[in-house]
Amino acid sequence: MSTPKARDVAREETEGEEAEALDAEEVPAGPSRTRPPRVSWQQLTFLPALLVALLLVTWLWFQQAELDEISSNALSGGKVAKALVQHIELTVISTVFVLIIAIPLGVLLTRPAFRRATPVAMAFANMGQAAPAIGLLSLLVIWLGTGRLAALIGIIAYAVLPVLSNTIAGLKANDPTLLEAARGIGMSPFGVLTRVELPLAVPLILAGVRTALVLNVGTATLATFGGGGGLGTLITTGITNQRMPVLLLGSILTVALALLVDWLASLAEVLLRPRGLEVGP
Amino acid sequence: MNFWEYLGTRHEQLLMDAYQHASAVFQCMVLATVIGVLIGVAAYRSGWASGLATTGTATILTIPSLAMIGLLIPVVGLGVPPTVVALTLYGLLPIVRNCIVGLRGVDPSLVDAAKGIGMSRLARLVRVELPLAWPPILTGIRISTQMLMGIAAIAAYASGPGLGNEIFRGLGSLGSSNALNQVLAGTLGIIVLALLFDAAYVLIGRLTIPRGIRV
Repeated sequence: MSTPKARDVAREETEGEEAEALDAEEVPAGPSRTRPPRVSWQQLTFLPALLVALLLVTWLWFQQAELDEISSNALSGGKVAKALVQHIELTVISTVFVLIIAIPLGVLLTRPAFRRATPVAMAFANMGQAAPAIGLLSLLVIWLGTGRLAALIGIIAYAVLPVLSNTIAGLKANDPTLLEAARGIGMSPFGVLTRVELPLAVPLILAGVRTALVLNVGTATLATFGGGGGLGTLITTGITNQRMPVLLLGSILTVALALLVDWLASLAEVLLRPRGLEVGP
Repeated sequence: MNFWEYLGTRHEQLLMDAYQHASAVFQCMVLATVIGVLIGVAAYRSGWASGLATTGTATILTIPSLAMIGLLIPVVGLGVPPTVVALTLYGLLPIVRNCIVGLRGVDPSLVDAAKGIGMSRLARLVRVELPLAWPPILTGIRISTQMLMGIAAIAAYASGPGLGNEIFRGLGSLGSSNALNQVLAGTLGIIVLALLFDAAYVLIGRLTIPRGIRV
Protein backbone atom coordinates (compact mmCIF):
# COMPACT_ATOMS: atom_id res chain seq x y z
CA MET A 1 0.00 0.00 0.00
CA SER A 2 2.81 2.39 0.81
CA THR A 3 4.58 1.84 -2.47
CA PRO A 4 2.32 3.70 -4.91
CA LYS A 5 2.34 6.61 -2.49
CA ALA A 6 6.09 6.40 -2.24
CA ARG A 7 6.30 6.47 -6.01
CA ASP A 8 4.30 9.65 -6.32
CA VAL A 9 6.45 11.34 -3.78
CA ALA A 10 9.62 10.10 -5.38
CA ARG A 11 8.77 12.07 -8.49
CA GLU A 12 8.60 15.24 -6.44
CA GLU A 13 11.86 14.47 -4.78
CA THR A 14 14.06 16.61 -6.99
CA GLU A 15 11.77 19.62 -6.70
CA GLY A 16 11.79 19.31 -2.94
CA GLU A 17 15.56 19.20 -2.83
CA GLU A 18 15.91 22.28 -5.01
CA ALA A 19 13.51 24.18 -2.83
CA GLU A 20 15.44 23.18 0.23
CA ALA A 21 18.72 24.29 -1.28
CA LEU A 22 17.26 27.70 -2.12
CA ASP A 23 15.87 28.04 1.38
CA ALA A 24 19.25 27.31 2.84
CA GLU A 25 20.82 30.15 0.91
CA GLU A 26 18.19 32.76 1.54
CA VAL A 27 17.09 32.07 5.10
CA PRO A 28 19.98 30.49 6.95
CA ALA A 29 18.60 28.05 9.50
CA GLY A 30 15.48 29.96 10.44
CA PRO A 31 13.68 28.03 13.14
CA SER A 32 10.31 28.69 11.52
CA ARG A 33 11.52 26.96 8.36
CA THR A 34 12.26 23.63 10.04
CA ARG A 35 10.11 20.73 8.97
CA PRO A 36 7.46 19.45 11.31
CA PRO A 37 8.74 16.56 13.45
CA ARG A 38 8.17 13.15 11.94
CA VAL A 39 6.84 11.72 15.17
CA SER A 40 4.26 13.45 17.31
CA TRP A 41 4.77 13.56 21.08
CA GLN A 42 1.67 11.41 21.58
CA GLN A 43 3.27 8.68 19.49
CA LEU A 44 6.43 8.99 21.56
CA THR A 45 4.87 8.92 24.99
CA PHE A 46 1.57 7.01 24.94
CA LEU A 47 2.77 3.44 24.65
CA PRO A 48 5.82 3.73 26.96
CA ALA A 49 3.58 5.34 29.59
CA LEU A 50 1.07 2.52 29.21
CA LEU A 51 3.78 -0.12 29.52
CA VAL A 52 5.35 1.55 32.56
CA ALA A 53 1.91 1.67 34.22
CA LEU A 54 1.27 -2.00 33.36
CA LEU A 55 4.62 -3.16 34.72
CA LEU A 56 4.28 -0.95 37.82
CA VAL A 57 0.88 -2.45 38.64
CA THR A 58 2.26 -5.95 38.13
CA TRP A 59 5.25 -5.18 40.34
CA LEU A 60 3.09 -3.69 43.10
CA TRP A 61 0.80 -6.71 42.96
CA PHE A 62 3.74 -9.07 43.30
CA GLN A 63 5.04 -7.08 46.25
CA GLN A 64 1.97 -7.94 48.29
CA ALA A 65 1.17 -11.34 46.76
CA GLU A 66 1.87 -14.40 48.87
CA LEU A 67 3.57 -16.93 46.65
CA ASP A 68 3.62 -20.60 47.55
CA GLU A 69 6.71 -22.74 47.13
CA ILE A 70 6.08 -23.79 43.53
CA SER A 71 5.46 -20.25 42.36
CA SER A 72 8.42 -18.73 44.14
CA ASN A 73 10.61 -21.56 42.89
CA ALA A 74 9.56 -20.82 39.34
CA LEU A 75 10.26 -17.11 39.72
CA SER A 76 13.28 -16.91 42.03
CA GLY A 77 17.00 -17.03 41.32
CA GLY A 78 16.92 -14.70 38.33
CA LYS A 79 14.75 -17.10 36.32
CA VAL A 80 12.50 -14.29 35.12
CA ALA A 81 15.40 -12.14 33.95
CA LYS A 82 16.96 -15.17 32.27
CA ALA A 83 13.75 -15.98 30.42
CA LEU A 84 13.42 -12.35 29.33
CA VAL A 85 17.01 -12.19 28.07
CA GLN A 86 16.60 -15.52 26.24
CA HIS A 87 13.43 -14.25 24.64
CA ILE A 88 15.08 -11.04 23.43
CA GLU A 89 18.06 -13.02 22.11
CA LEU A 90 15.81 -15.42 20.22
CA THR A 91 13.90 -12.50 18.71
CA VAL A 92 16.95 -10.47 17.68
CA ILE A 93 19.00 -13.36 16.28
CA SER A 94 16.10 -14.78 14.31
CA THR A 95 15.15 -11.36 12.94
CA VAL A 96 18.70 -10.72 11.70
CA PHE A 97 18.71 -14.07 9.91
CA VAL A 98 15.24 -13.54 8.46
CA LEU A 99 16.35 -10.26 6.91
CA ILE A 100 19.64 -11.69 5.65
CA ILE A 101 17.74 -14.50 3.95
CA ALA A 102 14.52 -12.90 2.79
CA ILE A 103 15.63 -9.57 1.35
CA PRO A 104 18.44 -10.79 -0.95
CA LEU A 105 16.23 -13.69 -1.99
CA GLY A 106 13.45 -11.22 -2.81
CA VAL A 107 15.88 -9.12 -4.87
CA LEU A 108 17.14 -12.24 -6.66
CA LEU A 109 13.67 -13.51 -7.46
CA THR A 110 12.68 -10.20 -9.09
CA ARG A 111 15.72 -10.14 -11.44
CA PRO A 112 14.85 -10.91 -15.08
CA ALA A 113 16.75 -14.22 -14.98
CA PHE A 114 14.61 -15.57 -12.16
CA ARG A 115 11.37 -13.75 -12.87
CA ARG A 116 9.70 -16.94 -13.98
CA ALA A 117 10.27 -18.44 -10.53
CA THR A 118 8.49 -15.57 -8.76
CA PRO A 119 4.89 -16.90 -8.97
CA VAL A 120 6.11 -20.30 -7.82
CA ALA A 121 7.88 -18.73 -4.83
CA MET A 122 4.81 -16.63 -4.02
CA ALA A 123 2.49 -19.65 -4.16
CA PHE A 124 4.93 -21.56 -1.96
CA ALA A 125 5.05 -18.63 0.48
CA ASN A 126 1.25 -18.53 0.70
CA MET A 127 1.06 -22.27 1.25
CA GLY A 128 3.74 -22.11 3.93
CA GLN A 129 1.73 -19.56 5.85
CA ALA A 130 -1.00 -22.15 6.30
CA ALA A 131 1.40 -24.34 8.28
CA PRO A 132 0.94 -23.87 12.03
CA ALA A 133 4.02 -22.47 13.78
CA ILE A 134 3.80 -24.98 16.60
CA GLY A 135 3.71 -27.92 14.16
CA LEU A 136 6.72 -26.63 12.24
CA LEU A 137 8.64 -26.14 15.48
CA SER A 138 7.73 -29.60 16.76
CA LEU A 139 8.91 -31.24 13.55
CA LEU A 140 12.23 -29.42 13.82
CA VAL A 141 12.57 -30.48 17.45
CA ILE A 142 12.06 -34.11 16.46
CA TRP A 143 14.54 -33.74 13.63
CA LEU A 144 17.27 -31.72 15.39
CA GLY A 145 16.62 -32.56 19.04
CA THR A 146 15.49 -30.15 21.75
CA GLY A 147 17.35 -26.95 22.29
CA ARG A 148 17.92 -23.50 20.98
CA LEU A 149 18.93 -24.40 17.44
CA ALA A 150 15.63 -26.06 16.55
CA ALA A 151 13.70 -23.16 18.05
CA LEU A 152 15.75 -20.59 16.14
CA ILE A 153 15.39 -22.40 12.81
CA GLY A 154 11.66 -22.74 13.38
CA ILE A 155 11.25 -19.05 14.18
CA ILE A 156 13.31 -18.06 11.13
CA ALA A 157 11.51 -20.42 8.77
CA TYR A 158 8.17 -19.12 9.92
CA ALA A 159 9.02 -15.44 9.34
CA VAL A 160 11.03 -15.72 6.10
CA LEU A 161 7.99 -16.29 3.91
CA PRO A 162 5.94 -13.19 4.84
CA VAL A 163 9.00 -10.92 4.60
CA LEU A 164 9.96 -12.51 1.27
CA SER A 165 6.52 -12.02 -0.24
CA ASN A 166 6.49 -8.39 1.02
CA THR A 167 9.87 -7.71 -0.59
CA ILE A 168 8.85 -9.25 -3.91
CA ALA A 169 5.55 -7.38 -3.93
CA GLY A 170 7.32 -4.11 -3.18
CA LEU A 171 10.06 -4.44 -5.76
CA LYS A 172 7.50 -5.41 -8.39
CA ALA A 173 5.38 -2.37 -7.54
CA ASN A 174 8.22 0.04 -8.43
CA ASP A 175 7.22 2.27 -11.30
CA PRO A 176 8.59 0.65 -14.50
CA THR A 177 9.05 4.08 -16.11
CA LEU A 178 11.53 5.04 -13.38
CA LEU A 179 13.54 1.88 -14.04
CA GLU A 180 13.32 2.53 -17.77
CA ALA A 181 14.60 6.06 -17.24
CA ALA A 182 17.47 4.82 -15.10
CA ARG A 183 18.44 2.34 -17.80
CA GLY A 184 18.00 5.04 -20.41
CA ILE A 185 20.62 7.29 -18.81
CA GLY A 186 23.05 4.39 -19.02
CA MET A 187 22.95 2.88 -15.55
CA SER A 188 24.13 -0.69 -15.23
CA PRO A 189 21.63 -3.27 -13.90
CA PHE A 190 23.52 -3.18 -10.61
CA GLY A 191 23.33 0.62 -10.53
CA VAL A 192 19.60 0.51 -11.22
CA LEU A 193 19.17 -1.90 -8.33
CA THR A 194 21.29 -0.06 -5.76
CA ARG A 195 20.54 3.54 -6.73
CA VAL A 196 16.90 3.35 -7.81
CA GLU A 197 15.08 0.16 -6.86
CA LEU A 198 16.39 -0.38 -3.34
CA PRO A 199 16.06 3.26 -2.18
CA LEU A 200 12.47 3.22 -3.44
CA ALA A 201 11.89 -0.04 -1.58
CA VAL A 202 13.27 1.20 1.76
CA PRO A 203 9.85 1.82 3.36
CA LEU A 204 8.87 -1.66 2.32
CA ILE A 205 12.00 -3.24 3.72
CA LEU A 206 11.45 -1.41 7.00
CA ALA A 207 7.89 -2.73 7.06
CA GLY A 208 9.39 -6.18 6.55
CA VAL A 209 11.68 -5.65 9.55
CA ARG A 210 8.68 -4.74 11.66
CA THR A 211 6.67 -7.73 10.48
CA ALA A 212 9.58 -10.05 11.21
CA LEU A 213 10.19 -8.60 14.68
CA VAL A 214 6.54 -8.84 15.73
CA LEU A 215 6.14 -12.35 14.32
CA ASN A 216 9.35 -13.49 15.96
CA VAL A 217 8.46 -12.18 19.42
CA GLY A 218 5.31 -14.26 19.12
CA THR A 219 6.90 -17.42 17.75
CA ALA A 220 9.68 -17.17 20.36
CA THR A 221 7.06 -17.83 23.07
CA LEU A 222 6.69 -21.28 21.49
CA ALA A 223 10.45 -21.97 21.79
CA THR A 224 9.82 -23.36 25.26
CA PHE A 225 8.02 -26.38 23.75
CA GLY A 226 11.30 -27.36 22.14
CA GLY A 227 13.46 -26.58 25.15
CA GLY A 228 14.57 -23.24 23.71
CA GLY A 229 13.73 -21.14 26.77
CA GLY A 230 12.20 -17.67 26.64
CA LEU A 231 9.20 -16.14 28.32
CA GLY A 232 7.00 -18.98 27.11
CA THR A 233 8.64 -21.08 29.83
CA LEU A 234 6.94 -19.02 32.52
CA ILE A 235 3.58 -19.32 30.77
CA THR A 236 3.78 -23.10 30.32
CA THR A 237 5.07 -23.58 33.89
CA GLY A 238 2.11 -21.55 35.11
CA ILE A 239 -0.37 -23.58 33.06
CA THR A 240 0.99 -27.04 33.92
CA ASN A 241 1.36 -26.29 37.64
CA GLN A 242 -1.81 -24.21 37.75
CA ARG A 243 0.00 -21.29 39.34
CA MET A 244 -1.71 -18.10 38.22
CA PRO A 245 1.01 -15.67 39.42
CA VAL A 246 3.64 -17.39 37.25
CA LEU A 247 1.25 -17.57 34.30
CA LEU A 248 0.27 -13.92 34.64
CA LEU A 249 3.82 -12.65 35.03
CA GLY A 250 4.94 -14.59 31.96
CA SER A 251 1.99 -13.37 29.90
CA ILE A 252 2.28 -9.74 30.98
CA LEU A 253 6.02 -9.61 30.29
CA THR A 254 5.46 -11.19 26.86
CA VAL A 255 2.71 -8.70 26.01
CA ALA A 256 4.85 -5.78 27.20
CA LEU A 257 7.83 -6.98 25.17
CA ALA A 258 5.72 -7.49 22.04
CA LEU A 259 4.15 -4.04 22.29
CA LEU A 260 7.54 -2.43 22.99
CA VAL A 261 9.17 -4.14 20.01
CA ASP A 262 6.31 -3.12 17.73
CA TRP A 263 6.54 0.46 18.98
CA LEU A 264 10.31 0.65 18.45
CA ALA A 265 9.92 -0.83 14.97
CA SER A 266 7.17 1.64 14.11
CA LEU A 267 9.43 4.54 15.17
CA ALA A 268 12.27 3.12 13.09
CA GLU A 269 9.89 2.84 10.16
CA VAL A 270 9.15 6.56 10.33
CA LEU A 271 12.61 7.83 11.25
CA LEU A 272 14.71 5.78 8.83
CA ARG A 273 12.58 6.43 5.77
CA PRO A 274 14.50 8.53 3.23
CA ARG A 275 13.42 12.18 3.39
CA GLY A 276 12.73 12.13 -0.31
CA LEU A 277 10.06 9.48 0.05
CA GLU A 278 8.22 11.38 2.72
CA VAL A 279 4.67 12.59 2.23
CA GLY A 280 5.32 16.17 3.24
CA PRO A 281 2.90 19.02 3.78
CA MET B 1 4.93 -48.04 12.37
CA ASN B 2 5.15 -45.80 9.34
CA PHE B 3 3.00 -42.73 8.80
CA TRP B 4 0.34 -44.47 6.67
CA GLU B 5 -0.09 -47.27 9.17
CA TYR B 6 -0.38 -44.67 11.89
CA LEU B 7 -3.12 -42.86 9.94
CA GLY B 8 -4.87 -46.19 9.39
CA THR B 9 -4.95 -47.21 13.02
CA ARG B 10 -5.73 -43.77 14.48
CA HIS B 11 -8.05 -42.39 11.84
CA GLU B 12 -11.03 -42.19 14.18
CA GLN B 13 -9.19 -40.08 16.73
CA LEU B 14 -7.65 -37.96 13.98
CA LEU B 15 -10.96 -37.34 12.23
CA MET B 16 -12.52 -36.39 15.56
CA ASP B 17 -9.68 -33.93 16.28
CA ALA B 18 -9.87 -32.53 12.74
CA TYR B 19 -13.63 -32.12 13.02
CA GLN B 20 -13.30 -30.31 16.36
CA HIS B 21 -10.53 -28.11 15.00
CA ALA B 22 -12.54 -27.12 11.94
CA SER B 23 -15.70 -26.65 13.96
CA ALA B 24 -13.98 -24.43 16.57
CA VAL B 25 -12.40 -22.28 13.86
CA PHE B 26 -15.62 -22.10 11.86
CA GLN B 27 -17.82 -21.11 14.79
CA CYS B 28 -15.36 -18.52 16.03
CA MET B 29 -15.09 -17.13 12.49
CA VAL B 30 -18.86 -16.72 12.26
CA LEU B 31 -18.84 -14.94 15.60
CA ALA B 32 -15.83 -12.82 14.61
CA THR B 33 -17.40 -11.89 11.26
CA VAL B 34 -20.66 -10.73 12.84
CA ILE B 35 -18.91 -8.72 15.56
CA GLY B 36 -16.23 -7.43 13.18
CA VAL B 37 -18.72 -6.17 10.58
CA LEU B 38 -20.83 -4.55 13.32
CA ILE B 39 -17.75 -2.74 14.68
CA GLY B 40 -16.76 -1.75 11.16
CA VAL B 41 -20.23 -0.38 10.38
CA ALA B 42 -20.31 1.51 13.66
CA ALA B 43 -16.87 3.05 13.16
CA TYR B 44 -16.34 3.75 9.46
CA ARG B 45 -18.18 7.06 9.24
CA SER B 46 -16.06 8.85 11.80
CA GLY B 47 -12.35 9.35 11.31
CA TRP B 48 -11.29 8.96 14.92
CA ALA B 49 -13.49 5.92 15.53
CA SER B 50 -11.98 4.13 12.52
CA GLY B 51 -8.53 5.13 13.71
CA LEU B 52 -9.28 3.82 17.18
CA ALA B 53 -10.75 0.57 15.84
CA THR B 54 -7.81 -0.12 13.51
CA THR B 55 -5.13 0.85 16.07
CA GLY B 56 -6.86 -1.15 18.79
CA THR B 57 -7.18 -4.25 16.64
CA ALA B 58 -3.60 -3.93 15.35
CA THR B 59 -2.38 -3.72 18.95
CA ILE B 60 -4.17 -6.93 19.88
CA LEU B 61 -2.65 -8.57 16.81
CA THR B 62 0.89 -7.90 18.09
CA ILE B 63 0.17 -9.81 21.31
CA PRO B 64 1.57 -13.35 21.03
CA SER B 65 -1.24 -15.91 21.12
CA LEU B 66 0.28 -17.97 23.96
CA ALA B 67 0.42 -14.83 26.13
CA MET B 68 -3.18 -13.97 25.22
CA ILE B 69 -4.31 -17.46 26.22
CA GLY B 70 -2.25 -17.14 29.40
CA LEU B 71 -4.02 -13.91 30.28
CA LEU B 72 -7.43 -15.46 29.59
CA ILE B 73 -6.97 -18.58 31.74
CA PRO B 74 -7.23 -16.78 35.13
CA VAL B 75 -10.41 -15.08 33.87
CA VAL B 76 -12.32 -17.85 32.08
CA GLY B 77 -10.51 -21.04 33.11
CA LEU B 78 -9.04 -23.83 30.99
CA GLY B 79 -10.50 -25.68 28.01
CA VAL B 80 -13.00 -24.39 25.47
CA PRO B 81 -13.69 -20.87 26.88
CA PRO B 82 -10.16 -19.40 26.46
CA THR B 83 -9.96 -21.01 23.02
CA VAL B 84 -13.21 -19.43 21.87
CA VAL B 85 -12.40 -16.00 23.31
CA ALA B 86 -8.84 -15.96 21.92
CA LEU B 87 -9.88 -17.22 18.48
CA THR B 88 -12.74 -14.73 18.22
CA LEU B 89 -10.54 -11.82 19.33
CA TYR B 90 -7.77 -12.59 16.84
CA GLY B 91 -10.33 -13.35 14.13
CA LEU B 92 -11.88 -9.90 14.55
CA LEU B 93 -8.80 -7.97 13.58
CA PRO B 94 -8.43 -8.44 9.83
CA ILE B 95 -12.21 -8.30 9.44
CA VAL B 96 -12.63 -4.97 11.23
CA ARG B 97 -9.74 -3.45 9.31
CA ASN B 98 -10.89 -4.67 5.92
CA CYS B 99 -14.52 -3.80 6.65
CA ILE B 100 -13.57 -0.19 7.44
CA VAL B 101 -11.29 0.04 4.40
CA GLY B 102 -14.00 -1.48 2.20
CA LEU B 103 -16.83 0.72 3.45
CA ARG B 104 -14.70 3.87 3.20
CA GLY B 105 -13.73 2.91 -0.33
CA VAL B 106 -17.33 2.87 -1.58
CA ASP B 107 -17.83 5.62 -4.17
CA PRO B 108 -19.80 8.41 -2.38
CA SER B 109 -21.68 9.21 -5.59
CA LEU B 110 -23.20 5.71 -5.54
CA VAL B 111 -24.40 6.20 -1.97
CA ASP B 112 -25.74 9.59 -2.98
CA ALA B 113 -27.59 8.04 -5.91
CA ALA B 114 -29.12 5.46 -3.57
CA LYS B 115 -30.22 8.29 -1.30
CA GLY B 116 -31.64 10.11 -4.30
CA ILE B 117 -33.90 7.23 -5.28
CA GLY B 118 -35.31 7.24 -1.75
CA MET B 119 -33.44 4.44 0.01
CA SER B 120 -33.38 4.61 3.78
CA ARG B 121 -30.09 4.65 5.72
CA LEU B 122 -30.41 0.94 6.52
CA ALA B 123 -31.30 0.02 2.94
CA ARG B 124 -28.31 2.00 1.65
CA LEU B 125 -26.03 0.15 4.06
CA VAL B 126 -27.42 -3.33 3.40
CA ARG B 127 -28.12 -3.08 -0.32
CA VAL B 128 -25.42 -0.72 -1.56
CA GLU B 129 -22.49 -0.23 0.77
CA LEU B 130 -22.02 -3.68 2.29
CA PRO B 131 -22.29 -5.56 -1.05
CA LEU B 132 -19.68 -3.22 -2.52
CA ALA B 133 -17.42 -3.65 0.50
CA TRP B 134 -17.91 -7.42 0.55
CA PRO B 135 -14.78 -8.48 -1.45
CA PRO B 136 -12.32 -6.88 1.02
CA ILE B 137 -14.36 -8.21 3.95
CA LEU B 138 -14.18 -11.70 2.47
CA THR B 139 -10.41 -11.31 2.08
CA GLY B 140 -10.29 -10.35 5.77
CA ILE B 141 -12.24 -13.49 6.62
CA ARG B 142 -9.78 -15.62 4.63
CA ILE B 143 -6.75 -14.09 6.36
CA SER B 144 -8.42 -14.52 9.75
CA THR B 145 -9.23 -18.17 9.14
CA GLN B 146 -5.69 -19.00 8.12
CA MET B 147 -4.35 -17.31 11.25
CA LEU B 148 -6.90 -19.00 13.53
CA MET B 149 -5.92 -22.44 12.24
CA GLY B 150 -2.47 -22.00 13.78
CA ILE B 151 -3.69 -20.25 16.94
CA ALA B 152 -6.22 -23.03 17.58
CA ALA B 153 -3.30 -25.48 17.56
CA ILE B 154 -1.59 -23.50 20.33
CA ALA B 155 -4.84 -23.26 22.31
CA ALA B 156 -4.73 -27.05 22.67
CA TYR B 157 -2.05 -26.45 25.31
CA ALA B 158 -4.72 -24.85 27.49
CA SER B 159 -6.81 -28.04 27.04
CA GLY B 160 -8.58 -26.64 23.99
CA PRO B 161 -10.05 -28.91 21.30
CA GLY B 162 -8.56 -29.88 17.96
CA LEU B 163 -5.51 -31.13 16.09
CA GLY B 164 -3.12 -29.21 18.34
CA ASN B 165 -3.61 -32.01 20.85
CA GLU B 166 -2.04 -34.39 18.36
CA ILE B 167 1.03 -32.13 18.08
CA PHE B 168 1.36 -31.74 21.85
CA ARG B 169 0.95 -35.51 22.38
CA GLY B 170 3.87 -35.97 19.99
CA LEU B 171 5.94 -33.33 21.78
CA GLY B 172 5.12 -34.97 25.10
CA SER B 173 6.42 -38.34 23.95
CA LEU B 174 9.62 -37.18 22.23
CA GLY B 175 11.84 -40.12 21.39
CA SER B 176 8.98 -42.60 21.15
CA SER B 177 8.37 -44.14 17.76
CA ASN B 178 5.04 -42.38 17.35
CA ALA B 179 6.16 -38.84 18.17
CA LEU B 180 6.94 -37.98 14.56
CA ASN B 181 3.70 -39.56 13.30
CA GLN B 182 1.62 -37.61 15.80
CA VAL B 183 3.26 -34.26 15.08
CA LEU B 184 3.17 -34.87 11.34
CA ALA B 185 -0.49 -35.91 11.40
CA GLY B 186 -1.44 -32.82 13.43
CA THR B 187 0.57 -30.40 11.28
CA LEU B 188 -0.48 -31.82 7.91
CA GLY B 189 -4.08 -32.05 9.13
CA ILE B 190 -4.09 -28.34 9.92
CA ILE B 191 -2.55 -27.46 6.54
CA VAL B 192 -5.17 -29.57 4.75
CA LEU B 193 -7.97 -27.93 6.74
CA ALA B 194 -6.58 -24.47 5.97
CA LEU B 195 -6.46 -25.24 2.25
CA LEU B 196 -9.99 -26.68 2.31
CA PHE B 197 -11.30 -23.55 4.04
CA ASP B 198 -9.47 -21.40 1.51
CA ALA B 199 -11.06 -23.30 -1.37
CA ALA B 200 -14.46 -22.87 0.28
CA TYR B 201 -13.90 -19.10 0.48
CA VAL B 202 -13.02 -18.93 -3.21
CA LEU B 203 -16.32 -20.68 -3.90
CA ILE B 204 -18.23 -18.39 -1.52
CA GLY B 205 -16.63 -15.44 -3.29
CA ARG B 206 -17.86 -16.68 -6.66
CA LEU B 207 -21.36 -17.12 -5.33
CA THR B 208 -21.72 -13.96 -3.27
CA ILE B 209 -19.69 -11.19 -4.86
CA PRO B 210 -22.13 -9.13 -6.94
CA ARG B 211 -21.73 -9.71 -10.66
CA GLY B 212 -21.18 -6.03 -11.40
CA ILE B 213 -17.99 -5.65 -9.34
CA ARG B 214 -16.35 -8.95 -10.16
CA VAL B 215 -12.89 -8.64 -11.63
